[in-house]
Amino acid sequence: MADIALTHAPETAAELRHARMLSAGARCALPVAILLGIGFAAPLVAILGYAFATPRSFDVFRSFTLENFATLFNPSNTVWLSFLWSCGFALSTVAILAVVAYPIAYGLNVVFGRAAPLISVLFVFPLFVSENVRLYGWVLFYIKNGVLDGTLKWLGLAGGPEVLFTPGITLFGMVYTYLPFMLFPMTLGLALVPRDLVDAARDLGAGRLLIWREIELPLAMPGILIGMLLTFVLAIGATAEAKILGGQSIIVISHDIEIAFTYSQNWPLGSALAVVVTAFIGGLTLFALSKLDLDRMLGRR
Amino acid sequence: MAGISRRSLLKGMGTGLGALAAAGPLFNSNKAFAAREKELNILCWEGYNSAQVLDPFRSKTGATVKAESLTNDPTMINRLRAGEINTWDLINVNNPWARKVMLPEKLIKPLPKAEFEPFFDKMLPEFKAPYKWAMSDDGKDLIGMAQRFGPYSFVVNTDKVSRKTAEEVGWDLFNDPKLSGKYGILESDDWNVFNIFIVAGIDPFKVHTPEELAKFEETAKRVFKGAKLIGDIASMNQALISGEIDLHLTGGTYSVSPARADGHPELRAITPLKGPLAGGKGGISWIEITSTVNNPNLSPLALEFLKYVQAPDVAHTVAFAEGTFNPVAQMGNKACFDLFTKEELDAIQWDSLEEEMARSVEYDIVPNYDKALDIMNAAKRLRG
Repeated sequence: MADIALTHAPETAAELRHARMLSAGARCALPVAILLGIGFAAPLVAILGYAFATPRSFDVFRSFTLENFATLFNPSNTVWLSFLWSCGFALSTVAILAVVAYPIAYGLNVVFGRAAPLISVLFVFPLFVSENVRLYGWVLFYIKNGVLDGTLKWLGLAGGPEVLFTPGITLFGMVYTYLPFMLFPMTLGLALVPRDLVDAARDLGAGRLLIWREIELPLAMPGILIGMLLTFVLAIGATAEAKILGGQSIIVISHDIEIAFTYSQNWPLGSALAVVVTAFIGGLTLFALSKLDLDRMLGRR
Repeated sequence: MAGISRRSLLKGMGTGLGALAAAGPLFNSNKAFAAREKELNILCWEGYNSAQVLDPFRSKTGATVKAESLTNDPTMINRLRAGEINTWDLINVNNPWARKVMLPEKLIKPLPKAEFEPFFDKMLPEFKAPYKWAMSDDGKDLIGMAQRFGPYSFVVNTDKVSRKTAEEVGWDLFNDPKLSGKYGILESDDWNVFNIFIVAGIDPFKVHTPEELAKFEETAKRVFKGAKLIGDIASMNQALISGEIDLHLTGGTYSVSPARADGHPELRAITPLKGPLAGGKGGISWIEITSTVNNPNLSPLALEFLKYVQAPDVAHTVAFAEGTFNPVAQMGNKACFDLFTKEELDAIQWDSLEEEMARSVEYDIVPNYDKALDIMNAAKRLRG
């Protein structure tokens, strides 16, 4: 080994300089690295710094205390309620979307044929409109004497159900908002299922359920799991649905962080909460990805 | 070149960066100083940031005017504390902050008194110089200008709860179990702290005993639990108009005037006849004070802008800027008052403004606000 290393050692000044220069790839990546450093890493470092600063102060990087974390983990602090609600909402959103999006994804791949691209666009289209505007639209739809209630009364019926400003409508809002984020990875996952394999299984006498369980589901799993992970991460940080549709009937964890940064003006506590939530989501994501061997699933190995 | 080693290169880079860092502020400040002649940055409540108010000033001065609106005072003041004192020229917050907090902390600087005090003579009678909230504690310095103001307690739909009942029963409406689920709470947490204290029968603007804080906590839990929704001004007005709620805690001319102007005179800001506030008063009012930030390179346009908004037509525009409609102190000047139409006066409840202001104490700072806010936030989480 030593001999080999010696033969590659630079000898002339030119070689020395060349060896010290960044590789072409690293140089090309430099602008992106700088941009990520400023735009992505720096705010995270600031948040991390604030998390260890004296409560209700701006002494970032000048003070060090674990007081903020002690406050969060104090059993008398009810912030865990917000955290549980957020986790509950996120898990329910994922479960409902998995069931709702699967038939649509299947349809886009197998059933809708030439109409599939148009239908895809229809699902993407709402994303062009601000989320808040869409949610206020739903408020107008469900509000007393609004679109639904007013129309039903006009038809001589009893009127619409009172669903606004409840945890249930918050969940509805999240399912509605995050549908595309589950649908498209899932569609992609289902597209990976070779039709020949399904046909072969059918020729060999496998029933629909068996084909779905043994062929379609396992082969589409990478897309399904990526959709689930994406939806979960987005949903656990959702605020607008609980505020606009839910009328703050539930205070979700991201709303708690927002309150700490605004009315409470306790940036260190808000940062500590953000760090805890980020660590939780990050840990969960890494755990899920470690269990998920994408290469194997995608059949590249 | 051949003599350049990694060490010398790094050393050179280090020196260069050091020199750049040292020259940086100088360079920036020179550049900033040169540019400030045509630049003005305003930190304010919504309204002052509207194009109706700013565009004429922009065309008149040819300046780049930036205004950022926020919806609570502590956030704005902390922006200055966090180092943005070099960024902003004007700050527009509620009455006590300039005199009690920002001047002692040197976040703002006094105005040229001889130049600005005469404006107060043309304002409504209660603003005549020396106007308390515009003056420093020792009464020597003029530290800001008054403009928008209003009573701010709660709002009712008078088709459901009459004005008479609301004024007489007052804050106890929110203690009435029959109204549970029929009211909303405006998402304005500093005011909600005041109002939960008042619903609990306690004066918010004093130091509270543990027993009073326990009463505050019990009231906060009950009042938040009974609220149909918590939301912004638009959500509150929409819920009142649609019939989802009959009344909402925290609100006044500032919040309900857009709905009244939109053809809903049945919605009305209420100031109770009596309450636990100083002198047995029933409500709280706010007065905005706009001050010059203690910016080392204050834009000369800051003073220009303060004068500009005193003009009758601009004061009227400020009163009816987009978002919220409010009375302005300049209505004491007939030339300004005459610009208001009957509909506009009705939207801002001009008919009862004077008596409602008289029944209100002025916005103040809660000594143990942080503690009370933490209790209230915890109470909110128990809604679910």
